[in-house]
Order: sequence, then structure tokens, then C-alpha cells
Amino acid sequence: MTGAASGVGPDRLLARFPQGILGIDPFPGTAGRLRFDPAIALELFREVRDTLGYTHLAMVAGIDWVQTREVLYAVWSDAGRRYLLLSAQLPADHPHIESATAVWPSANWHEREAWELVDISFDHHPDLRNLLLPTGYQFHPLLRSFKLHEPEELEVKVRDV
Amino acid sequence: MWINMGPQHPMTHGLWNLRVRIDGELILDVDPEMGYLHRGIEKISEDRHYNEIITLMDRTCYVAGMAWETLFVLGAEQALHVTPPERAEWIRVLSEEIQRLGSHIMWYAAFVQDLGLMSPFLYGMRDRDLLLDLLQSYTGARMTYEYNRVGGVRNDLPSGFTDRARKVCDWLEDRFREYDALCLGSAIFHKRCDGLGVLKAADCVRLGVTGPMLRSAGVKRDLRKDRPYSAYDRVDFDVAVAEGGDVTGRYLVRMEEMRQSVRIVRQALDWLDRNPGPCLAENLPRWLGAPYAPVGREGYLLRRNYPKGLGFSAIEEPHGEALAYVVNEGVEHPYRVKLKSPIFVNLSAAKEYLVGYRVADIPPIMGSVDICVGEVDR
Repeated sequence: MTGAASGVGPDRLLARFPQGILGIDPFPGTAGRLRFDPAIALELFREVRDTLGYTHLAMVAGIDWVQTREVLYAVWSDAGRRYLLLSAQLPADHPHIESATAVWPSANWHEREAWELVDISFDHHPDLRNLLLPTGYQFHPLLRSFKLHEPEELEVKVRDV
Repeated sequence: MWINMGPQHPMTHGLWNLRVRIDGELILDVDPEMGYLHRGIEKISEDRHYNEIITLMDRTCYVAGMAWETLFVLGAEQALHVTPPERAEWIRVLSEEIQRLGSHIMWYAAFVQDLGLMSPFLYGMRDRDLLLDLLQSYTGARMTYEYNRVGGVRNDLPSGFTDRARKVCDWLEDRFREYDALCLGSAIFHKRCDGLGVLKAADCVRLGVTGPMLRSAGVKRDLRKDRPYSAYDRVDFDVAVAEGGDVTGRYLVRMEEMRQSVRIVRQALDWLDRNPGPCLAENLPRWLGAPYAPVGREGYLLRRNYPKGLGFSAIEEPHGEALAYVVNEGVEHPYRVKLKSPIFVNLSAAKEYLVGYRVADIPPIMGSVDICVGEVDR
């Protein structure tokens, strides 16, 4: 944990991954939102943990953007006392990314949840099976194509009459 | 041999199943099975107006609804570019600390009952009622408050509230001494808690464990101090830590946290007495400020030029670090709401703090984790 001193910004990794890091957007309240190419996922996670000192993986979220699928990691640095968001866009036809469990073991349940709810598969995950949904459940409820109902249309009809 | 402890078992304090592989009395492996209480809160949120989601947040964790409301509105405010007035921030601090006291006392009552000590349960429930009375007097509800709003809080405190709250603070500070005498002075308590369910600091960090479990291992991480939100940068309190990372350590951390919460409540009451003012932002967009969003063409015209945004909020919930990520795509309901529950992660580490102990140790160890299945399953 060499450079774990406070104040180490994520832009320090730009030289290490000139191709893999697609950009770092400012995000108020955090160290930024780093967009990366899923191909470098595991190497980037290692660098983020060891060079930048983000030892705590707080959250893995999947977001369905219909054309693509986003996977978002929130990591926390005790030394810098701030979060960093890591975001990757995955192709919607076969969304997959390397599992972060090798770097942050706490990713285990987060990735199981993202896998079953948003249909993102995590390569080399030790135990990818249903967590919140029944075993063998056929649907991924947090995809946009999984419709609950159409409240907007219903309400408009009622008001127009 | 695998046995099921749950989904109906006094140890679970909720609806979940702990599968345990045992050899005689020795625990060899565990596998928590979750999902019995999965209501799809994140999915339902995609179809609801921001202020309607607050209803769902109360149900996310049914002993700490106020904390989850605050978490969500903080995220939504960032996504929607809304700033709450200062008084609302202080009322949020006050509400959250009253909620933390209520949650910890509920934990105390349930946990000590697991150990076979019946009287502390009754005392705990009696004292928690006073806190619920306080919350009821300004939110109108004892459990599902629907009190926070994007841009502030729904209404101000009623007259005479601060004096009543101070009386409750005085009462509680005396009771904490009794709680400690009942537990730390009991041989049963020490026999069933000391040195059990140990999770060292390095393991906590590796497994993402947060909250009182992490602080009981000696790590001084509390988002109220490290990344202050609402008015926490303006209150004075100490972060409770203990050594050892065992069940007794978690008890000590929560007890100290309750004393610190009373300190924070007193400071918030003093500030609120001195500084009257609005508690809801005045420049809210009309479609957001209304109790129900205008729908149809009217609603569309109102919100069509509203800027998009992303919100990320983190709070120290009674159980640990809770996060929310809110995606605002310029319509009256969020595109995506992601919630991260601290117990979800604390429970995922169950194998580390259960294997090697005896079956009879499971109730005190799992009790000390303070499980609320509502927020694990969402």
C-alpha cells in the first residue's frame, strides 16, 4: 500500500492505463467517476486498491441502459476518506466482466445480486448462484424489459375522461 | 450434516434461513439463504414519483425507517439539484439519532433475550416506546414515517417538543447505566458473549464489514465523522470503538453509540431552539414540490426541460454504511435506484465469524450482528 496517503487522485492511474481508462468525470461528494474498459477490469481493481488505497469495496450496482449495461463499483479509501466510483459499459447481448472477488472478497454477494437482477455475468466468480430470487428463476427483474405495469398511461386515461 | 436454522427460528429475527453444516456441536460451514422478504423495492422505485418512494424506504428497514428515508432523499437531492434549508438538515440529524437510539434499544432488547435474560427485554421495549412517542409527535407515525421530502422535511417540530425530548434524554442516560449493570454484571452474559464470533480488523476490511461490527474490531470508521452529511460536521461527538471484535465488543460499541447519540440529540435540540426557519426548500420545481406529481400533459410540460443528474449518498445507518445511487433521467420517477445495505455485507461474511464455534453460540453471535432482513432483501 505504497501511495495510500490522502489526496492521491484517480488521475494518477491515467499513465498506467492510457487506453483502458476512458475518462474521469467529476462527481460531487466523491473523488470522481472513473469510466474504464471492461478488458482491464482486474488490473485496474488491483491498482485502485494497492496504489490508490481504496481497500473497501462498498457497492456493486448494475444499471440497464437498454443498448448497454453499466456496472458501477463504489470503493472507499480510509486514508483519503472518500469514495471513488468505477463505471464500465458492457454490451447488452452478452454483458460480462471479470469478477472483483479476487481483489475485494466483499464483492461476492454484490455480484450475485447484480447477476440475478440485472443479468451481468461475472467471470471467475467463486459462487455465482441465486441470492434474493428462488433458485432457477428465469427472469431478471431489474431489466427495463421486465415490466411491472404502466401507471403513466393508466393515469392519463383517468384524467382525460 | 446440514441443518436449517430458519426461516422460522427464534435466532433469525426476521425471515431468512441459516444453513449450517455441523459435526456434533461444531460448526463446519454455513450458508445464509436470503430472499424471503425480497419485495423488489428498487424495481418499484422505477415507477414512482420521488416523494412516493419515501414510503418504500420506510419499509426497507422497519426498525430504522428514518435513516433510509434520509439516505434516499440525500441521493435524490443530488440527482435533482435541490438543496435543503439548514433547519431541515438539523431536523434530519435529530430524527436519525432518535432512530439510531430506537434501533439500538430494539437490538438490545432482542439480543439480550436471546441470551436468556428476560427482564432487559422488557426494560428495553419500555424505553424504546418513549423514542417512538417522540417520533410520532412530529411525524404522525411510529414506524413508517414518510417524513423526509426531497428538499427538506414535511413539517416543523410541534411546540414543546424540545423540552419533551430533553426529558427523554435525561431518562435514557440513567437507563443506560441499568442496561450495563444488567448485562456486564451478569455471569451468563459473559459466558455467552466473551470471545465469541471474533472478526478481526483485517478480515472486516477484506470482507467489507461496516458499522458497529467494524468498530468493535478497533477500526475507527464512521461516515458521520469521515464524510459528514446533513449537519454532522457541526455536531460534537466521539466515535465509539472497542477491541477484540467479539460479541461483547459489539455490545460495548452500541452502548457507547447510544450515549453519543443522546449527546447529538441534545446539540440538535439546542440548535433547533435557537434557529427557527423554513424546513422545506422554497424554490422546488412545481412537479416536485406538490404532494402528487402533476400527470399527463401538464406534468410533461412542467418537467420536460428538467436537467438530468446522478446522485450518490452515503450515511452511517444504525447497522453500518448504507449507500444509495439515484439516476435522474429528467422524468418524475428515477431511472434507477440502487441501495446498498450494511447488513447485506455483514451477513455475507457469516462463514468467517461462525465456523469453529458451537451450535449454541449461533444465537448470541447472529444476535450481535443486528439483522434486519427488510434491508438485506429490499
